Amino acid sequence: MDLWQLLLTLALAGSSDAFSGSEDSSKEPKFTKCRSPERETFSCHWTDAVYHGSKNLGPIQLFYTRRNTQEWTQEWKECPDYVSAGENSCYFNSSFTSIWIPYCIKLTSNGGTVDEKCFSVDEIVQPDPPIALNWTLLNVSLTGIHADIQVRWEAPPNADIQKGWMVLEYELQYKEVNETKWKMMDPILSTSVPVYSLKVDKEYEVRVRSKQRNSGNYGEFSEVLYVTLPQMSQFTCEEDFYFPWLLIIIFGIFGLTVMLFVFLFSKQQRIKMLILPPVPVPKIKGIDPDLFKEGKLEEVNTILAIHDSYKPEFHSDDSWVEFIELDIDEPDEKTEGSDTDRLLSSDHEKSHSNLGVKDGDSGRTSCCEPDILETDFNANDIHEGTSEVAQPQRLKGEADLLCLDQKNQNNSPYHDACPATQQPSVIQAEKNKPQPLPTEGAESTHQAAHIQLSNPSSLANNDFYAQVSDITPAGSVVLSPGQKNKAGMSQCDMHPEMVSLCQENFLMDNAYFCEADAKKCIPVAPHVKVESHIQPSFNQEDIYITTESLTTAAGRPGTAEHVPGSEMPVPDYTSIHIVQSPQGLILNATALPLPDKEFLSSCGYVSTDQLNKIMP
Amino acid sequence: MNIKGSPWKAGSLLLLLVSNLLLCQSVAPLPICPGGAARCQVTLRDLFDRAVVLSHYIHNLSSEMFSEFDKRYTHGRGFITKAINSCHTSSLATPEDKEQAQQINQKDFLSLIVSILRSWNEPLYHLVTEVRGMQEAPEAILSKAVEIEEQTKRLLEGMELIVSQVHPETKENEIYPVWSGLSSLQMADEESRLSAYYNLLHCLRRDSHKIDNYLKLLKCRIIHNNNC
Repeated sequence: MDLWQLLLTLALAGSSDAFSGSEDSSKEPKFTKCRSPERETFSCHWTDAVYHGSKNLGPIQLFYTRRNTQEWTQEWKECPDYVSAGENSCYFNSSFTSIWIPYCIKLTSNGGTVDEKCFSVDEIVQPDPPIALNWTLLNVSLTGIHADIQVRWEAPPNADIQKGWMVLEYELQYKEVNETKWKMMDPILSTSVPVYSLKVDKEYEVRVRSKQRNSGNYGEFSEVLYVTLPQMSQFTCEEDFYFPWLLIIIFGIFGLTVMLFVFLFSKQQRIKMLILPPVPVPKIKGIDPDLFKEGKLEEVNTILAIHDSYKPEFHSDDSWVEFIELDIDEPDEKTEGSDTDRLLSSDHEKSHSNLGVKDGDSGRTSCCEPDILETDFNANDIHEGTSEVAQPQRLKGEADLLCLDQKNQNNSPYHDACPATQQPSVIQAEKNKPQPLPTEGAESTHQAAHIQLSNPSSLANNDFYAQVSDITPAGSVVLSPGQKNKAGMSQCDMHPEMVSLCQENFLMDNAYFCEADAKKCIPVAPHVKVESHIQPSFNQEDIYITTESLTTAAGRPGTAEHVPGSEMPVPDYTSIHIVQSPQGLILNATALPLPDKEFLSSCGYVSTDQLNKIMP
Repeated sequence: MNIKGSPWKAGSLLLLLVSNLLLCQSVAPLPICPGGAARCQVTLRDLFDRAVVLSHYIHNLSSEMFSEFDKRYTHGRGFITKAINSCHTSSLATPEDKEQAQQINQKDFLSLIVSILRSWNEPLYHLVTEVRGMQEAPEAILSKAVEIEEQTKRLLEGMELIVSQVHPETKENEIYPVWSGLSSLQMADEESRLSAYYNLLHCLRRDSHKIDNYLKLLKCRIIHNNNC
């Protein structure tokens, strides 16, 4: 391979030598440039002939011809002036120059045309550079860093601008002294132009060149103008400092994004909740949703028993549905959850609650289904030994308009209140009376009081009950609403609007005095039990010292928990002596064993209608 | 009416009239507007400015059109040397350099310009028609031809207005060179046809340049008194 390359290069060299050798390595003259600076004269230049060797081609001549108006004359004339434009040039003065007439020139050497060219004068117009460049200061920026200048110059003198023979446009270029690249401005037609935003502490170079409009090429550049701006301010800025807004914005966004992601995925629930508040989902206090998943319904029910509104469907669906009918009981049932009830109720309440809050619910059926009541009763009995006591206590806990007699309440808590219902249960109540009295007198009172208190507490929970503070001689009742810590008082809590009959009718000493009542009261009772169980800390200090001095009761601690501080003992309940008076109720300080028969309803409680009939 | 003041008023009016006449005669060489108020709404300076702008624009379009045509059809084929390249306006005695332009008088100069413009009406019209009728009509060339024709008409109107202002006594001289190159534009032979087009566009470029140059000279001469 190397041998072939060597041979090839030798051959090429030989051929080139042969070529050059034939012409003695002479270069033919060629036209380099033809130029007209002012559109009145023009000149053409060519390269000098280089002769190597003996062969002499003779002098070079230039011939020109120009097309006449009508015909293309082939008469070639020789160059009129070989001198004026310098070496190897031909100068055509104004008499030989016509603008809109095409020219053709040719170079000859020894008779042989060496080069030929055709053109019109407008095509070769290249004006001279502008002269008399100068600059003036326009203004300096407020910071003293930049300045504007106005650069002025004059047209080349040989271009006839005044007569309009030539119309020139100019191009200005400038740069800093130590820079290499020139900055260009757009072409301008006038001879002055402002240059903006030059730095004060730098030195600049400015140059201008001109060109005929619409034709020709740019001429040579003018002489460089040096611009040194005077320093006004004493502060010399090395370089412009610009606040890196873009960087700050970018990094700020980046940082915010990072923080946001940290917050989103962090374990800090507080911060997370602050930034992204959780969407409220259905939730019950105290209940861990995991319990549902694990299937521990009993525990769930336990927890839910606290809440008033929970109604576990442990019973048959029928009964549950029927429970819904009673909306009157709901306020009463809510009181089941009162702490006082829980306090005064005995442990059986608690145990009862353990079984599930089957009877702690409101919404019991109307008191017309003894079956369920019986089952409830049975259940209660089973669960609690003292259910009999507890329930009546619970039952009695609800205040009633009918003015439960304290004593009766203690002994037979509700039998006053539930004249109608008392009948079937009175016996029971009475039966139970002696039991609580001697044995659990205090307890019963407690319970009664508890229940009674629960009534007021329930009363406190709602506005149905108001304490009767006084009875006018006319027989009207003066109510004092808002007193929650009523112990079981001699006066009944009489609320004209009270319609929670279940509570009022319950006998304390007997859990079941009326099927209906029991039914109604069952939701109350277990609540009471539950509450009392749950809050065993409630001091069972008997608010009532005696059954007859319930007024001295300081108020149940149970209610005290709910209600801040016990208020002055005020007789809560007073047996209604006469209820038929349309003007109101006449309260009897002494308990009457039985309320008026009219109050007795089949269900053991006074219905609203009945009550309305009784009371004005 | 105040009888006392009437002779004073007549006298003042007469004086005013005489002074106006005298002043009018010695007014600057800027031509006044004898054609009446209707034709003098635009000043001569504005007319010349507009004319120069138009002529400059027409020349630019002509140059571009010629360059495009040459690049597209006839580049490197030596048409410039082969073509006869004689324009129909060559019969007009147009100044070819600055001295000749300075020697011609103002009135003749204006008439000359108007004649050139008039002589190009018909060629431009046919040019547009023929280019439009081409099979693959070059859009760039056609659009420029249309524009040149439009602007040339406007320039002619402007020039006539200038003439009426500067030399209102000039009789309308409708003599202008007639163009007869239509047949060559429609020749079947492509070479001949291209040559004809080349010649026509070359002449148009040259004549538009002449008009532009002449108007600039006249403007400097008439408006700025040779001191542009």
